[in-house]
Amino acid sequence: MPLCLLEKVKKTYRMGDLSVEALKGINLRIEKGEFVAIMGTSGSGKTTLMNIIGCLDVLTSGRYVFADREVSSLSDDELSVIRNEHIGFVFQNFYLLPYATALENVLLPTLYVEKRRDNAEKHAVDLLRLVGLEERAKFRPNQLSGGEQQRVAIARALINNPELLLADEPTGQLDSKTAVEIMSLFVKMNEQEKTVVVVTHNPNIASFAKRIIQIKDGVIFE
Amino acid sequence: MDRLIKIISQSIRAVRAFKLRTFFCLVSVALGIASITVIVAATEGAYKKAFEIVARFGPDSLLILGGGEQARAAGERPKTITLDGVEAVKEAFRTAYLVVPMSTMRDVTVSHKDRKYQTRITGSTSDYSRAWTWPVIQGSDFTEEDVKGLRNVGLIGQYTAKELFGNEDPVGKYVLVKGIPVQIVGVLSERGTSPAGEPLDDRIVIPISTLMKKLQNETKYVAGFRIRFLDHENLYSYVEELRSFIRKRHGLPPEEPDDFTIVSPKEITKFLVALTGSLVVFLGVTGIISLIVAGFVLANLFLLSVKERTAEIGIRRATGAKKRDILIQFLGESVVLTTIGGFVGFLLALSSSKLLMLIAEFPIHFSWKAFFMGLLLSWVIGIGFGLQPAKRAADLKPIEAIRG
Repeated sequence: MPLCLLEKVKKTYRMGDLSVEALKGINLRIEKGEFVAIMGTSGSGKTTLMNIIGCLDVLTSGRYVFADREVSSLSDDELSVIRNEHIGFVFQNFYLLPYATALENVLLPTLYVEKRRDNAEKHAVDLLRLVGLEERAKFRPNQLSGGEQQRVAIARALINNPELLLADEPTGQLDSKTAVEIMSLFVKMNEQEKTVVVVTHNPNIASFAKRIIQIKDGVIFE
Repeated sequence: MDRLIKIISQSIRAVRAFKLRTFFCLVSVALGIASITVIVAATEGAYKKAFEIVARFGPDSLLILGGGEQARAAGERPKTITLDGVEAVKEAFRTAYLVVPMSTMRDVTVSHKDRKYQTRITGSTSDYSRAWTWPVIQGSDFTEEDVKGLRNVGLIGQYTAKELFGNEDPVGKYVLVKGIPVQIVGVLSERGTSPAGEPLDDRIVIPISTLMKKLQNETKYVAGFRIRFLDHENLYSYVEELRSFIRKRHGLPPEEPDDFTIVSPKEITKFLVALTGSLVVFLGVTGIISLIVAGFVLANLFLLSVKERTAEIGIRRATGAKKRDILIQFLGESVVLTTIGGFVGFLLALSSSKLLMLIAEFPIHFSWKAFFMGLLLSWVIGIGFGLQPAKRAADLKPIEAIRG
């Protein structure tokens, strides 16, 4: 079974009387262990597609199966559980809590875990070491550079051991040198058998992926 | 449970992090809680004082004074009660174990050696001290023989004793009352003030016979009498019986109002509660207004905060927080805040009421009840006004929140 299976997925946004069809029947299969880049210009529907894959949004019609579960029939709470256990997010704007330390930020997803976990803090320290920020564990986001903040966000995405790492323009705020360092981290994660999906408009970033999907006006090409 | 603790600890984090919001909410909630706490404490204080005064007055006692309520309200003290009348009451009411007549002269100049002082002279029987449960602590009470013999003996109140004798022992010494030498045989214990604020310890008590004959030149009328019943649970039926008995004796037709007043413990309570009532109403209105203002300050600051923290809500939702988790976190923030506000408010109430007691001699009594009342109210505010912003936070769709 593939990790993600989308069949004839449509997504329509309604804004008053106007309805905009962001996705016009997407068929997509992502296998476990893949490294996929979804490329498109702004307004192409790539972010909408990412939101659907990441269980952040529900589809209008079609079918989405994630990790053997029919996502289209799940409740809001069940979607939260899927995101918590199976998906790690990395965003363009990092989204770290400004009042929490790096370590506390990494631990954020563990707050919402259903079962009790004892060694969460140790695991978080290990992950900070993995992204090279062990000695910055007590720093606040405003004491860290953009690249460092994104590394913290990656550590946070990994803390609950998800199958899927989902990144939306992860290097959009970073200079090209730092961008390469961040992408190398994703490559490393992919080598450790994580499935990685990166959404970007930048071909240089997309080139790190093993498979590139183009999206335009809500339709995909490979 | 584990999850709840983790989420509430997030609330506490946020309360500590957003200091300005915390400060403003805290101040407004604390002020509201403080005024409500003072009200509860003042009400309790008033009731406590009322009970004390009733206990001192005697729950089995009535006081009957000459003149109807209207005349008394106008400051007149018409004499309508006679010694014979008091005697008749004593005959008619068998369960009354004490019926003690009394008369009073105000602002009488008395002197001891070269010290002069104006005080109140009360005339009564040898049962005066028992009738008011007001013990003689030095020397002894005057006796029935003293009353029968119109002797010039008297009891002195603490305050008057200090004025006339300073630190000397007054027992056995003489006081000149309108030129008549009265020997002090006993000193009354300290009594404080009446519910109306009159100093009770400023008086000299002498036999009523001596007062009437030698000072007032009066043979018939007394100011009133005090009566105590064995079965005080029937006190209020006695009030009615006594009223019709005296009306009949005074020959009052039905349309005529009473020409006497019966003071009962209930009336004293009423008087005190009315006295407290005005302040309670004033503080109550202020308190409720400030609490409502506090609530709106809280709600608005929280709505603003939810807007400001959209990204935070987004990332929490993306990493697996359920709607309920967000709701609990924000509600937790507001309840944690108002709880602290409640504590601060209670401390504020404690210190401000000290001031109030200093300037107004107002009875304030703090108890656990006042404290828990304040705490409970702070939770009501926290949940009541925090719910709407918390709901708004919880209802944010993850993708909208992430988009920021």
